[in-house]
Amino acid sequence: MNEKRKLLNKIRQYDFTLKELNLYLDTHPNCPRALAMFRKYKQIRMNAVNEYVSRYGPLMPEQNNDADHWDWIDDPWPWERS
Amino acid sequence: MNLNLFDDIDGLVLRERETVLTETDQERKRPVSADATSRFPQNTPLAMAYVPFQQWGETYQHDDALEYGTLFPELNFPFRKGERS
Repeated sequence: MNEKRKLLNKIRQYDFTLKELNLYLDTHPNCPRALAMFRKYKQIRMNAVNEYVSRYGPLMPEQNNDADHWDWIDDPWPWERS
Repeated sequence: MNLNLFDDIDGLVLRERETVLTETDQERKRPVSADATSRFPQNTPLAMAYVPFQQWGETYQHDDALEYGTLFPELNFPFRKGERS
């Protein structure tokens, strides 16, 4: 697995953990341990996303980072081999 | 076979039924609990569905969590074809 896919897979894992904590917190809104873990993973995910976007381009259109060029449409697309 | 065991079956059923009927919610006129041998707490009404409330415990690492489809070991129920617990 190349570096790009590895990093994207990490982001998937962080997203899943955050979604699980989100569902747990919906029914346990004052659980300090779940809140602490959510904060921790939110930070870890943000760092991973920032690294991905700076190296490989946007995951979401609003992450376009070039004032002169709309990099959202740049190749490769998700279904294309990079 | 000792058939005497079954001699008083009608009486048993009747007594059980009386017990249930005496434990009634006075305002709503219904039995307050299903039966004495239930796993549920006393005063658990009939015909309601219950889900045990999850408590915080161990969590998986993020890579295992995505693999298992849950962050929580106590919610990891792998249902595999042909397997019985």
